[in-house]
Amino acid sequence: MIWLVASALLFSIGAYGALTRRTAILMFLSIELMLNAAALSLISFSKLTGSLEAQVVVLFIIAIAAAEVAVGLGLIVAIFRRRETTSVDELRQLRG
Amino acid sequence: MQETFLLPLTIALPLLGFVLLGLFGKRIAEPAAGWLASLLVLGSFFLGLALLLQGGASWALPDWLPGIPFSLHLDNLSGVMLMVVTGVGFLIHVWAIGYMHGDPGYSRFFSYFNLFIAAMLVLILGDSLPVVFIGWEGVGLASYLLIGFWYHERVNADSARKAFIVNRIGDLGFLLAMGLLWSMFGTLSISELVEKVEAGGYSFTTLTLAGFFLLVGAIGKSAQVPLMVWLPDAMAGPTPVSALIHAATMVTAGVYLLVRHAFILHDDGFLSGLIVTIGLLTAFYGALCSLGQWDIKRIVAYTTLSQLGFMFVAVGVGAYWVAIFHIVTHAFFKALMFMTSGSVIHALGGEQDVRKMGGMRKYLPATHLHGLIATFASGGLVPLAGFWSKDAILAYSFEYGPWLWFLMLLASVLAALYSIRWYVLVFWGEYRGKEHPHESPAVMLWPNHILMGGAIGVGFMGLPYVIDYKNFIEPFLTKAIGEFPHEKLPVLTEWVLILTSAVVAIAALWWGFRFFQQKMPAWYERFQAAALQGFYADALYNTLLVNPAKGLAELLFEGDKGLLAGFAGLGSLVGGLGSLLARLETGSLRFYLAGLLVALVLLVGWGVLR
Amino acid sequence: MSIGFWEVLALLVLVGTGLAVVRLQNAVHAALALIANFLVVAGVYVALEARFVAMIQIIVYAGAIVVLFLFVIMLLSAANANVGQDLLPRLGWVAALGALGLAGVLTYAVTRFQPPAGTPALGGGLPQALGPLLYDPEKWLYALLVVGFLLLVATVAAVVLIEPERIVAATSHPAHPQQEQKPNPPRAEQKDERAVVKR
Repeated sequence: MIWLVASALLFSIGAYGALTRRTAILMFLSIELMLNAAALSLISFSKLTGSLEAQVVVLFIIAIAAAEVAVGLGLIVAIFRRRETTSVDELRQLRG
Repeated sequence: MQETFLLPLTIALPLLGFVLLGLFGKRIAEPAAGWLASLLVLGSFFLGLALLLQGGASWALPDWLPGIPFSLHLDNLSGVMLMVVTGVGFLIHVWAIGYMHGDPGYSRFFSYFNLFIAAMLVLILGDSLPVVFIGWEGVGLASYLLIGFWYHERVNADSARKAFIVNRIGDLGFLLAMGLLWSMFGTLSISELVEKVEAGGYSFTTLTLAGFFLLVGAIGKSAQVPLMVWLPDAMAGPTPVSALIHAATMVTAGVYLLVRHAFILHDDGFLSGLIVTIGLLTAFYGALCSLGQWDIKRIVAYTTLSQLGFMFVAVGVGAYWVAIFHIVTHAFFKALMFMTSGSVIHALGGEQDVRKMGGMRKYLPATHLHGLIATFASGGLVPLAGFWSKDAILAYSFEYGPWLWFLMLLASVLAALYSIRWYVLVFWGEYRGKEHPHESPAVMLWPNHILMGGAIGVGFMGLPYVIDYKNFIEPFLTKAIGEFPHEKLPVLTEWVLILTSAVVAIAALWWGFRFFQQKMPAWYERFQAAALQGFYADALYNTLLVNPAKGLAELLFEGDKGLLAGFAGLGSLVGGLGSLLARLETGSLRFYLAGLLVALVLLVGWGVLR
Repeated sequence: MSIGFWEVLALLVLVGTGLAVVRLQNAVHAALALIANFLVVAGVYVALEARFVAMIQIIVYAGAIVVLFLFVIMLLSAANANVGQDLLPRLGWVAALGALGLAGVLTYAVTRFQPPAGTPALGGGLPQALGPLLYDPEKWLYALLVVGFLLLVATVAAVVLIEPERIVAATSHPAHPQQEQKPNPPRAEQKDERAVVKR
């Protein structure tokens, strides 16, 4: 149904953003958009199949997203302190 | 014929010497090592003689290989060979005690020498063809080790290798013959083969083929044309080696093999004719080449070649006992010739070029006497040993065809010529060198005395029937070889032949004596230049066989290197691929995300569109 | 599900704010656009009979998570999206193509979904309906406990990440000497890295 399509679109837009944004924070923001799109699709499926389990899973998604954002932003702040820049392109030390 | 373990003991004694001297040689002092080796060989001689006088012996390990026993057999034929090998072998061992004095490899020498005797005995006594083959290969190995004894010189190692490789061609023939005989008769024991061949019921052409392959083996081992190129180069070894292996014993192994298989050969006109041709060619080739050599040992080596050709002719015309008889006489006078040459070399401090010799009769009286007797025996002067065996060959050749007799007579003339040339250049005239010759020590003189006695007297056991003196050796050997019907020549013809060869020999010796003392005429010089090169046989083989083979080897080596380079290239291909892929490791997060996205699209697309 | 005026409007707003999030140059504006997006999604949830989830979405997702984002943006003064050099200039095209491809594939995939017939009622997605599922030991109770623990761990981790030195000092004991903290890499090294990066 239409909300499934909407979630697909949002997911793609989020993916575009994750690749295009050069600041770590904005890249993270795009990823949150993608996560939200996934939750939306789950709710749609819940409605379509009449299963409440999907909604329980979405609750978990939101909780986990919260945890993840906390840790992720903490990392970004820690990196910023070392390097004085939030540019993702500068983080190339794992090249190999 | 008794079954006794004393028979393998004859082999075990020199083998023990090989092992002891090989392992502990460095700790055994100089003459002791030599005496140990010599006494072990003497022990084998007496043991063999005792067994022979008791009527022979045999010994077998049944089922050594499936269907093939390890069997040894001492009958009259192998008995005679055994006595020659161990008897003359003992004398040469003793002589070598003196000759090899001071050599750093003294014990190693005698260890190899004993190995040779052991292997030769295995060859002679073997009743089962694989056992003979073990001995065959063993003497080849010993020959290789001894020719290349002074292996620090490149040329010695090369000569040893050449001998081994040319012998190998013969060995291939031997192996093929064994295979054929096994497939035809299901057995490789000579005694059983004799019965089966007599029983009949086999394809005659296949048997001829088997006999031909055996002949190839014999040609390789006995240095007949076309596999003769290794014998002159084998003179790179010490003189005792040349005397024992390349004159008296190993090179006669081919003749012995053929005589052992007389039951295959005697009915086969094609094979016999082939053997006669090869023998003739070799006899002439050897004689002509000898007349052009300047190295004293090479002169004698080529004479050996020529005399082996005589033996082959004897086998070819069906005179099997005569071939063995000639082996016996030849062993004596050829070993004597070699050892006399060795004494001269020793006296002159290592000089081997006859152009720097001469006049040795004044400085080395005892050795001179040895040399004189050797010359007369080799030249076929009556009544020395060489005359009787050679005359027997001539008589049988006359039966085969007068043309053959005539050719053999010519070959005997050449034999007389090369013998007297050797004598004149070494012992007569004035000394052309600068050394101070000294006579050999007693340990080197006494074996030569004994050999001299043999060269004079051994012939008398094989006198022709027209002389009213018992011919011992013919019935003795024929008992083992087999009775082949043989028409005796008329008495008059026999006497004419004897007298002709006697007179011709004396004339040739006398003429040669005069001829070789003067300056050589131009035609002789030209002949000599060609003879010196062995009539370019080595050059011919090099062009036709050796160099193409080397070229092929180089080609294959390059190809192999190319293959290896290809594999290494494969490795570097992987490396290149790796470095190409490493470019994906940019370290940039966004790049990785892009990769993920593309992969995701592709995977989901594939999953969905399936 | 019929597609009425409100559905179309909601869809447009969703896509619009989504594009705003990924394209706006000011980070604060982008975060605010994301809030708007989340609020509209919450509305959609209500329409889809997931009311409890919708409330949670507003309170937690839009109200806590994105606000946290805003705090960090302001803390780091990282409001400007154009930071540093763009080292992968052509990535924009790849991203666009990839995103389009992904959208196409996923849309195709979801349009192939056949919902089963005769679906039971959801009860509006109210807590009374979700509760039995969530707190049932045979269903999601343990998952719930684990997620709770996860949140605790995340909180601690966030604190540790910010100020590791103070944490280490607070947890040290004379009897158990700890390894020295590595100091910040000196400025020179950072310069090298930038030089290296220009490869």
